[in-house]
Amino acid sequence: MYQALLTRRYLFSKVMPLLAALAVLLCTSMVLITWSVMGGFLNMLIGTGRTMTGDVTIIWPSSGFAHYEDLIQRLEKDPMVAAAAPMIETPGIIYLPDGRKEWVMVRGVDGRSYARVTDYASILWWKKLTTPLPKDKDGNDPRLGGLAGITWDEVYQNGLNLERTNPDTGQPEAAAVLGIEVSHFNLRSAEGYYTPIPRAVPQPNGGVTIANEFLPRSGHVTLNVLPTDITGKGVETATAILPVANEFQSGLYETDKQVVLVRLDVAQKMLHMDRGRPAPPPTTGGEESFEPLDAGTGQIEPRVTHVLVKGRGKETDSAALAERVSAIYRGFAHDHAGEVPDSPNIMTWRELNGTFITAVEKETALVLVLFCFISLVAVVLVLAIFWSMVAEKTKDIGILRALGASRMGVAWIWVRYGLAIGVVGGILGGITAFLIVHNINPIHEWMGRALHITIWDPRIYYFIVIPNQVNPMHAAIVMAGFVLSCAIGALVPAVRAAMLHPVRALRFE
Amino acid sequence: MATLAAQPTRDRTTAAPLLRVENLRKTYHLGRVDVPVLRGVALSVREGEFVAILGASGSGKSTLLHLLGGLDRPDAAQGSSIQYEGRPLHEMSTRDLDRYRNREVGFIFQFYHLLPELSVIDNVLLAPMIRYGRFGFMKRAAQLRAEAQALLTQVGLSHRLKHRPAELSGGERQRVAIARSLINKPRLLLADEPTGNLDHVTGATILDMLMEIRAQRRQTMVVVTHDEHTAARADRVIRLLDGQVVTA
Repeated sequence: MYQALLTRRYLFSKVMPLLAALAVLLCTSMVLITWSVMGGFLNMLIGTGRTMTGDVTIIWPSSGFAHYEDLIQRLEKDPMVAAAAPMIETPGIIYLPDGRKEWVMVRGVDGRSYARVTDYASILWWKKLTTPLPKDKDGNDPRLGGLAGITWDEVYQNGLNLERTNPDTGQPEAAAVLGIEVSHFNLRSAEGYYTPIPRAVPQPNGGVTIANEFLPRSGHVTLNVLPTDITGKGVETATAILPVANEFQSGLYETDKQVVLVRLDVAQKMLHMDRGRPAPPPTTGGEESFEPLDAGTGQIEPRVTHVLVKGRGKETDSAALAERVSAIYRGFAHDHAGEVPDSPNIMTWRELNGTFITAVEKETALVLVLFCFISLVAVVLVLAIFWSMVAEKTKDIGILRALGASRMGVAWIWVRYGLAIGVVGGILGGITAFLIVHNINPIHEWMGRALHITIWDPRIYYFIVIPNQVNPMHAAIVMAGFVLSCAIGALVPAVRAAMLHPVRALRFE
Repeated sequence: MATLAAQPTRDRTTAAPLLRVENLRKTYHLGRVDVPVLRGVALSVREGEFVAILGASGSGKSTLLHLLGGLDRPDAAQGSSIQYEGRPLHEMSTRDLDRYRNREVGFIFQFYHLLPELSVIDNVLLAPMIRYGRFGFMKRAAQLRAEAQALLTQVGLSHRLKHRPAELSGGERQRVAIARSLINKPRLLLADEPTGNLDHVTGATILDMLMEIRAQRRQTMVVVTHDEHTAARADRVIRLLDGQVVTA
């Protein structure tokens, strides 16, 4: 009882314990902010990987594999599988309307099936918005208004189908969907929306004209890819001029900067993976080769490099799904022996991004360990403050012992006092961390505007927003850790106080 | 001055002395130098008796008081003992000594020794808080608070309950210390120069108060002093000189 009374009185009658609580507050919030941002970064990375690839991917790069429609049918019959979709992935070069060229990753997909496996439908950027984004208080997002010459619904449908109507013929034609950062023709505002901006187009005479064109309405891009034959050997470069149907924003800067989606049949044609191409003569040695000829027509079967698989339920066990997919694939390979690879790569979304995810995991752990070491300062600080307070309160300790307080009772005052500092500092630190993390994007934007400091550069950290969620479990661990640290810091001075001789303590000057 | 009302007393009919001290020795070790402070002190204090221990500065009287109050332990010497109600104080465990100080003894110090962060009433309640623990105290909180308030009223401090020690005069602080020493109804009151830090008039008032307590409660008191006038009011005076009793 007297310990509680004295702890309360000591806590609020001195500056030193408040300084110790402040140190604990700062350390708690520092560790929690770091953990939240880095952990959130990792979660976003993992989540975005899933957004664009589904749960499990079957991969046979370069030459691809045939009979994928049969494989997809077999996969979709399985109760563990929600949907499957074919995809071709190949590096390429994009020529933009202003003459710039960029290295990109070209993905050939069937828009509708791709949308069933991934979050493609929701990441298409240009679509009608009925309510502004949370930060767009003034409602300046162009998607809230009308669009001359075309409707937002049309642009959205174009994106889903990867096609755009040719104004001359009135017929839809295959189109490309670019990552929102590919073209550099969209200016991202601090409120999170994009505005199409006029661009300088160099002219052959050395001059420059200004073009004010909204890509999904009238823009075109040229794609160059390097096709391979069915053995994976390169043949002549393929080129396609494609209208832009829409743009997407996955949230992962690297993806938004580098990925271009085209219709599956376009990619197959460009890469010589479509039906009807005669199979080049097989070569000996090197990569495994197949001749997936259609028994009826004698033509080569169309091929894809990837089949994306999405599991049922929100929290799919990707490893279990990968095992199931492997089993299904074995049956498929058995039935198409000699026409499809026996053992393609079957990888979960996590394995697919394994190197990167592991690197970020290790970086997060390293940063946390470093900050925890730094946070030992709080323990030492509490120890130092309590050591000096025990010296200052020596007479009080003598009085308490004279009144019959036990050694344990006296020690408990100081341990309890340390716990109180830990609890006050820890809780306030948790609240501070929550407020900072929750508002980290506005704070970061303000720092950029007012102080010209940009810590979170999306080109380095991949994501265009800083993760702003505090994991309650992490918060509890950090706060409990600091409360415990403070108790440990108070323990040595507490033992010292308990061991003081009552008479010497009473005579202390 | 308010009159101190008698509080319930225990049966005090025992003929044996409350305190019996024999061949008490205490040596302080200052580095390599041994400083003998008490050299074979023997005395006894009966129930209800007011004993003054008189001596000059450095004679060992405060050390003697600390040993009687269980704040310190004597040297282990042949035949050396402190008996409280026949129980050997010098052989008690630390825990038993804590209990002895809390329940059987009330201390009054020359420099009051109040906790500066606590109010007057909380200073008085500190001893019962230690005695009963959190739940025991909470169970008796109303009663103990009333008792503390009554004691403080009796020493004339009813208007100072919420004040901090720093806001009180020396005499008032000593009155708080007296109230604190009585709250657990100790059988033995040990006072170390209770008027030593006060002016003559205030010191006399405090002494009157102690005399009144003694009369009303038949309170056993041992008062250490170097003041002949204070000693003159005791039932018996024990004179200490260089750590030895010269007159008992």
